[in-house]
Amino acid sequence: MTTLPPPTGGSPADTAEVAAAARPTTQAPHGGRRSAGPGQLSDIWRRYRRNRLALLGLGIVGLLVFLAIFEPFITPFSPFEQNLLNTTAPPSARHWFGTDVLGRDMFSAIIYGAKLAVIVGLATVAMSLLIGVVFGAIAGFRGGAVDSVIMRTTDVFLAFPLLVGAILVVRTFGAGVTPVIIALALFGWTTSARLMRGQTLALRESEYVEAARSIGATDRRIISRHILPNAIAPVLVYAFTNIGVVVVAMASLSFLGIGVPADIPEWGRLISQSAPFFQVPGKSHLWAFPALAICVTTLGFAFVADGLRDALDPKLRGRG
Amino acid sequence: MGMFILRRSGQAVLVVMGATLLVFIATFALGDPFASTGDRQVPPEIAAANRAQFGLDQPLPIQYVTYLGNLFTGDLGVDFDQRRPVIDMLAETVPNTVRLALVAILIDVIIGVVAGIIAAVKRYSFADVLVTVLSTLAIGVPVFVIGIVLVANLSGVGPFPTVPRSFTVEVPWYQEVLLPAFALAIIDAAFIARLMRGSMLEVLRSDYIRTARAKGLSERKVIGKHALRNSLIPVVTYIGVSLGVLLGGAIITETIFQYNGVGFLLFRAISGNNAPVISAVVVFGVLAYVLLSLLVDILYAFLDPRIRLN
Amino acid sequence: MADTAGTTPTSRGEDVLGASGGSRTAPLLEVRDLRVHFDTPAGTVKAVDGVSWQVDEGETLAIVGESGSGKSVSAMTILGLVPSPPAVFPGGQVLLRGRSLLDMPEARQRKLRGNEISMIFQDPLTALNPVFKVGEQIAEMIRTHRKVGKAAALRKAVDLLGEVGIPNPRVRAAQYPHEFSGGMRQRAMIAMALANDPQVLLADEPTTALDVTVQAQIMQLLEDLQASRNTAIVLITHDLGLVASHADRIAVMYAGRIVETGTCEEIFTAPRHSYTHGLLSSLARMDHARPEKLEPIPGQPPSLSRVPQGCAFHPRCQFATAECTTEVPILVPSRPGSDHLHACLHSDRVAAAHSAPRPPAAVATARVETGVPPVLEVEGLVKHFPIRSGLLFKRTIGAVQAVDGIDLDIEPGTTLSLVGESGCGKSTAARTILRLQEPTAGSVRLGSRDVTAMRKEELRKAREDMQIVFQDPYASLNPRMTVRQILTEKYELLGGELTEDTIPDLLETVGLSAEYADRYPHEFSGGQRQRVGIARAIALNPRFVVLDEPVSALDVSIQAQILNLLEDLQREFGLTYLFIAHDLSVVRHISDRVAVMYLGGIVELADRDDLFERPQHPYTQALISAVPIPDPAVERSRERIVLTGDVPNPADPPSGCRFRTRCWKHLELSDPDKQRCITERPALDLADGSGRHRVACHFAGERQVLRG
Repeated sequence: MTTLPPPTGGSPADTAEVAAAARPTTQAPHGGRRSAGPGQLSDIWRRYRRNRLALLGLGIVGLLVFLAIFEPFITPFSPFEQNLLNTTAPPSARHWFGTDVLGRDMFSAIIYGAKLAVIVGLATVAMSLLIGVVFGAIAGFRGGAVDSVIMRTTDVFLAFPLLVGAILVVRTFGAGVTPVIIALALFGWTTSARLMRGQTLALRESEYVEAARSIGATDRRIISRHILPNAIAPVLVYAFTNIGVVVVAMASLSFLGIGVPADIPEWGRLISQSAPFFQVPGKSHLWAFPALAICVTTLGFAFVADGLRDALDPKLRGRG
Repeated sequence: MGMFILRRSGQAVLVVMGATLLVFIATFALGDPFASTGDRQVPPEIAAANRAQFGLDQPLPIQYVTYLGNLFTGDLGVDFDQRRPVIDMLAETVPNTVRLALVAILIDVIIGVVAGIIAAVKRYSFADVLVTVLSTLAIGVPVFVIGIVLVANLSGVGPFPTVPRSFTVEVPWYQEVLLPAFALAIIDAAFIARLMRGSMLEVLRSDYIRTARAKGLSERKVIGKHALRNSLIPVVTYIGVSLGVLLGGAIITETIFQYNGVGFLLFRAISGNNAPVISAVVVFGVLAYVLLSLLVDILYAFLDPRIRLN
Repeated sequence: MADTAGTTPTSRGEDVLGASGGSRTAPLLEVRDLRVHFDTPAGTVKAVDGVSWQVDEGETLAIVGESGSGKSVSAMTILGLVPSPPAVFPGGQVLLRGRSLLDMPEARQRKLRGNEISMIFQDPLTALNPVFKVGEQIAEMIRTHRKVGKAAALRKAVDLLGEVGIPNPRVRAAQYPHEFSGGMRQRAMIAMALANDPQVLLADEPTTALDVTVQAQIMQLLEDLQASRNTAIVLITHDLGLVASHADRIAVMYAGRIVETGTCEEIFTAPRHSYTHGLLSSLARMDHARPEKLEPIPGQPPSLSRVPQGCAFHPRCQFATAECTTEVPILVPSRPGSDHLHACLHSDRVAAAHSAPRPPAAVATARVETGVPPVLEVEGLVKHFPIRSGLLFKRTIGAVQAVDGIDLDIEPGTTLSLVGESGCGKSTAARTILRLQEPTAGSVRLGSRDVTAMRKEELRKAREDMQIVFQDPYASLNPRMTVRQILTEKYELLGGELTEDTIPDLLETVGLSAEYADRYPHEFSGGQRQRVGIARAIALNPRFVVLDEPVSALDVSIQAQILNLLEDLQREFGLTYLFIAHDLSVVRHISDRVAVMYLGGIVELADRDDLFERPQHPYTQALISAVPIPDPAVERSRERIVLTGDVPNPADPPSGCRFRTRCWKHLELSDPDKQRCITERPALDLADGSGRHRVACHFAGERQVLRG
């Protein structure tokens, strides 16, 4: 069966015509395909696969997750063990990435940092996503005063730059990984809430939600079966982009000397500790390796997010 | 329109109130400005005396009202270290930050908008691919990495002063501002380029561009007049908000370059656990952001007649 | 245009289409063997594949086709508006007075655009730049091609706006497009297109986005302007009715080629291509007292990337033979020397079929059963949408009176149509009846139960008996659910036995193969999706179904399929329909009783034939007269009432009779009578001498508008 993106109407817009002519049909002519959910997933994967950067991103993210899980088995040295007799040593056969200002093995420190980045990144984004989706969906679906209160609240949180907000919270709750996660989630949920609200508002008025109501669907069912699954895609994409932002924010906090405790080899901390050596020739490995690790991580998640955006919404393909 | 500005201003006031409450809770209610931190040990009885002196023994709502009242009269208190009026410290650093923000935005806009337009108009060309790749990479690089690389390689070279600045050398502000502004601009310019490209591509697909071509207008007029005005609308919004963020102080960049703006002031205040300064700088940042968002919304309404008249 | 059709100078007949050899003067605009292809990863899309036509001064050529037929692409190519890449132009010429356009350098082509050839587009809202004033945009058109000052160009723009019938042109010129109504925007667009007195005007679906009374205004305007300027018009449209009244010659396109061309009369009365015949037979006609059964064209138009071998129409053609699958037919004259050309191998059989009488439809006569208790009774139904404003706390400062007190009832097994133009409140009325929106006042009774008084859970259960089919089959199905899930959901929510055979049976009932059950909506065409929507509505045998413009988003040839299905289902299951529509031809075909809405109220309510043959309300009369009938003979003799102005704002409706501001009859009244319209709102009363014909007009009276 042919399924050209159909024109809207007995009003065959010329643009639709040209576009339809210029675009390859999105769906190949399938036979009677039987699989339900998996069919859609394989569609998404097929579109995702076409984007080479997205595959690279997936590779990077996969590697990070692997490092995070198997960190104790991979690190050649303890990432915490200081050796004040052998500080700032350049890369060598023994210490692949050299040693840091405290004489720790840089390679091990970087891998430990990866673990930290993955844990904090995923936990923070999961938390802020949960807050954002719940508040955004409620605001969009209920409307009225509830919506106003939630939206003004997000405005308040939005008025603080992520870093400044996080500084306030971390200073209040003290240093540690958990406070960092809470701080970044607390000031990071606003965008997902706004996205979710916008989606919900639009979908609430959509004909298929009305159709669901017309066959007796309850509010709960409308939200869970008809609005959430359709609204979540752009929010998820945003969340993925945001993992990179969170990793950078955590590093920035450490760089400013707050957040993760000083003795934990976090990437930002590694960089700030090497500050006296920024302009010292031959010591650039002190900041270059952690900086590179941060860049690769953010790029990896950004590529995955880009690929997901295109794969989840075929209409967006080719957009900048 | 007047109604819109009024309502939007009302919302802005609400947001500022909410934000100050958050700041107050974080710095004074939950946090203890006189706690012992690190190498600064405060004996309990002195801490108590300090609390009484600064009114921190009052009930919290009263403290908040006092705090708000002081804020609105411009009395930001004195800092805990040198007992200097915080307002003076702001007066000293704000102009530097404003300069930095403006120069950074200027670089942003020039690079970002131009690159975005070229990429969109010459779609699929080498220039487009270059812009897309570079902007993707630039967005992945955290600002402090860019800052460090610039400090490591360029400070002390040519017109760029050394970091940290030597006390014996007078450097004109426009030289000092260059490197940090550039560091800040790179990432934002990448965002703007992507935004501009996407927006322009979207507009170029619209029916009224087809109409403009059907009128027999030259391609330069089609792009420069009909497409540009429409595609700039979302970009202007982004630039405005971005400026609002920068005006609140670029803490990382200013710290790396040891640039004497509010961001660096905030960094020093955090290191010294200097609560009045922290609170003042954060509130200043919130104000700058809210004010700029308000301006952006009004500007948006001016740029887009569809919104203006609703 | 219509009235000149018969008097087209015969001298012009000599050099029609391709017969360029013997012409004394070159035609005004000629397209020769034009080909426009798009290179895509999926292969070459032949959007236009060897198309030839020509048009002369003062003449209107209509290019008719469904979506994807290539009709718009061919027109846009003339103006150089088709982006290349991805488009390539492997062949063909466009000649303006003998000058070849496609070979010209871009700079010279540009001088012609908007100057000698200009174009108006389908959607006047998106076709005008939202950030520039309307006057500026027109002035820009002038200044691009003429050496005039800014002020002079603006003055000319104001004059032009006045000429196209925009009141207060000076004020309007300083406004932005979104401050104009749809009809006004299209007028402004026309003013812009005609600013430089072009010789050719390409009109691409110029009225498709507009209401039928506004469509009549715009077509009248184009006709007047054409008469005074002798402009050649190329009218690109899918609407055969529009073509019948406004075209001199017609070219029918299918899958990138012209399949038949000839004069208006020839095409409508003696079609020779199976596709043309199919289109004409599938159309519902408003002027047929005993509607013939619609004969839909099976299947759907092909995707241009997969055009069938041989004659592109053969998979849908009732006359197709083996030859049709191999040979691409070329255009041949229907008689030797005739300009009526067709590309069909079986033109004789088509001709025979077209002249054969057709069987009457199942609902040939309106069912009028009095004395049966109605299934649905609506009384005094009101739906107001509050307008809120205020600084922090919003107060209600007014209301959009979408539905303002309507009464109607529907007898079991019949169809009542609620018709009106966009914004008249018909869809809101339907949704309020179903309580998908809460009524502001009034009552709705379904059988013995009061729907308006039901509590939430009771209402939810009651939905089993009242269902709805939505207008847009692309928006009304959840894209993330399979057809099976969509249909099963109803059984889960409302109870009802669900066996293994339920869903397959349901799909068969609406004419879909059972194996489609596990596909997602995006894998279906529009018509198929609408069948899924219908299946969802009729599952569990509801008593009453709202059909909210169920065919208006579909291609012409598909509409008939769906209409026939709806009629079959009604007969089989005894369904009662409330049919919401703006298309009066479809209404005439499917209804038993018709209610006409204007600005939130019913102005006339009557049995179908009474309403169409003996309309009483001036608005109904204007509405009927504005609908084009796909028959040039009928069209030429009909009287057209062209309403002035736009529908008033429903938040601030006129006092008294809501229609009086646009009423043609009101203008003819004496002053005291006029005063009555202004102060007293007419009730929906029985018309004189009738038991079932109600009309809301102080001065109701019959007027024949359907035929000449």
